[in-house]
Amino acid sequence: MIILNKNHSVLLVDQKCEGCTSCVKNCPTKAIRVHNGKAMIKDDYCIDCGECIRSCEHHAKSVLTENIDVINNYKYSIALLPPSFYGQFSKRINPEQISYALKGVGFFQVWDAALGAEVLNKATRAYLNREDEVLISSSCPVIVRLVQLLYPELIKHLSPFKAPVEIVAQAARYKIKKEYSVDDSDIGVFFITPCPAKRTAIENPLGLKESNIDGAIGVDVIYHQVITRLDNLEDLRRISLDREIPYNGIRWARSSGESELLDREDTLSVDGIHNVIEILEELDRGNLANIKYLELVACQPGCVGGVLNVKNPFMAKFNIELLLEKNKEIEGRNHNLCDYNIELDYFFKKKKIKPLDEDLLCAMKKLTKLEEVSKELPGLDCAACGAPDCRTLAEDIVGGLADKSNCVFILRKQIGDLADEMSRLTHTLPPVMQRKNRE
Amino acid sequence: MTNEEVRQEIINFEIEAGDFSSGGEASSKLKSILRKLGIPSQLIRKTAITTYELEINIIIHTFGGRISAEVSPKEIKVIASDQGPGIEDVDKAFQPGYSTANEKAREMGFGAGMGLCNIKRYSDNLEVRTKIGEGTTIEAYIYLDQSGDNIE
Repeated sequence: MIILNKNHSVLLVDQKCEGCTSCVKNCPTKAIRVHNGKAMIKDDYCIDCGECIRSCEHHAKSVLTENIDVINNYKYSIALLPPSFYGQFSKRINPEQISYALKGVGFFQVWDAALGAEVLNKATRAYLNREDEVLISSSCPVIVRLVQLLYPELIKHLSPFKAPVEIVAQAARYKIKKEYSVDDSDIGVFFITPCPAKRTAIENPLGLKESNIDGAIGVDVIYHQVITRLDNLEDLRRISLDREIPYNGIRWARSSGESELLDREDTLSVDGIHNVIEILEELDRGNLANIKYLELVACQPGCVGGVLNVKNPFMAKFNIELLLEKNKEIEGRNHNLCDYNIELDYFFKKKKIKPLDEDLLCAMKKLTKLEEVSKELPGLDCAACGAPDCRTLAEDIVGGLADKSNCVFILRKQIGDLADEMSRLTHTLPPVMQRKNRE
Repeated sequence: MTNEEVRQEIINFEIEAGDFSSGGEASSKLKSILRKLGIPSQLIRKTAITTYELEINIIIHTFGGRISAEVSPKEIKVIASDQGPGIEDVDKAFQPGYSTANEKAREMGFGAGMGLCNIKRYSDNLEVRTKIGEGTTIEAYIYLDQSGDNIE
């Protein structure tokens, strides 16, 4: 296994990678190249969206998450559940039972990130009533990184609050510290992550100096543990819970959940990273009149589509809808949503993409070269060179990262030309023999 | 030739009248090229919005035309030229809310009469040449040195 980059969470199981370029072509930021037969990720361009994991047929890509044993390192381990986790179970199994099973795994308490979603919903409502600017949800870390990278002028529109997981992690930590008078180091908060992006956001927090979460355990890792414990439960119905399930916040498990809760006419919900890019293009052109809130999520249809989830995204969404329907009386209940710290340590920063050259005149010269190389390439975007398309290969060539002969068509032509030349040379006789021939 | 005179065409797009589906292609391409050149993002945004509005104008109001852009160490110049019909009253055309767009364009959310205003607002200098029956050429400039009073 190779950790592709310390700043990201995608792992390459190199013996499984066939060098097929599926991931290269599906990467929304063109961050992947296949070199020496293996996929490599460019650190600066990766936004942790997980499209490469989704598109890899050989399962050569996975996510670096914690082993379950890690929870034993802490006296008080907390499982922090994303709303989408509930979508992994059929209606036969309710949130109470899931919590019970998680405690069986070894967690001291179970908390819901959905609570943070409700807190954020309240804050966002107030913000939208107060401010005139368009607001882009910053709950999905992929969206924040995408805006930082490709839409630096839209960064000011990002919602200036912490992500729900961080809000709840901080609150949980505080509460346990106070109630049990324990040291901070005795508490381990573990997020059950549906995606690589949320794991990366723990290691490299967005707008925060430090995360309140100690590690991420993949849904794929914990699912089996939960299921086996549920099978062994004698009576699934008689479990009472030490906390109230925040059903309103669980709406965030699938796209349009944020918009539903805001209950305004001027919200727009878009899911899927490629769709998100299109809508951000529109916003960047000043073309989204009458929209005040953009709920953008990288996965389809929302977090239930995260690559670490085990259920089909649409089945998971179906499960969430059933759960909400079954508990709609409880849904409206108000928890105490005060006492949460939602403020960022600092606002999100733009990320600078490296230009062709720092000097404009040199960059212009390189651009001319790039256009020339681009014209020579076949324009088939076959990706056999390891770059996603001909234009990107041309960029890599100009940047000194690739060679023209990486293109199989150019190579074929070069070999053809060479063969012609060889053929011509074989028919050219040495001067001494030429006369002989004529005779 | 001094550095100031180095000028390079970076995009050149033909734009068909009424082709709403291609609207935005020129500005998107221009945007990505300007990023490769290391142009500051706020200037890229100004250029992209200007270019987009010029594209849409050609699509809605003309018989078709062309968008190109040039870059030099001094400025980015976006040129939109069309084959008519020409602008009858240029002063009026620049008034906010004034539009001659047809129902189809308005139905699609265009034609609010803000296009030329936005072009004026986001560019640092603008030259309009128009002749009824022949066409219009608009040249919009975005200066790379924004230390003057052209900053928005």
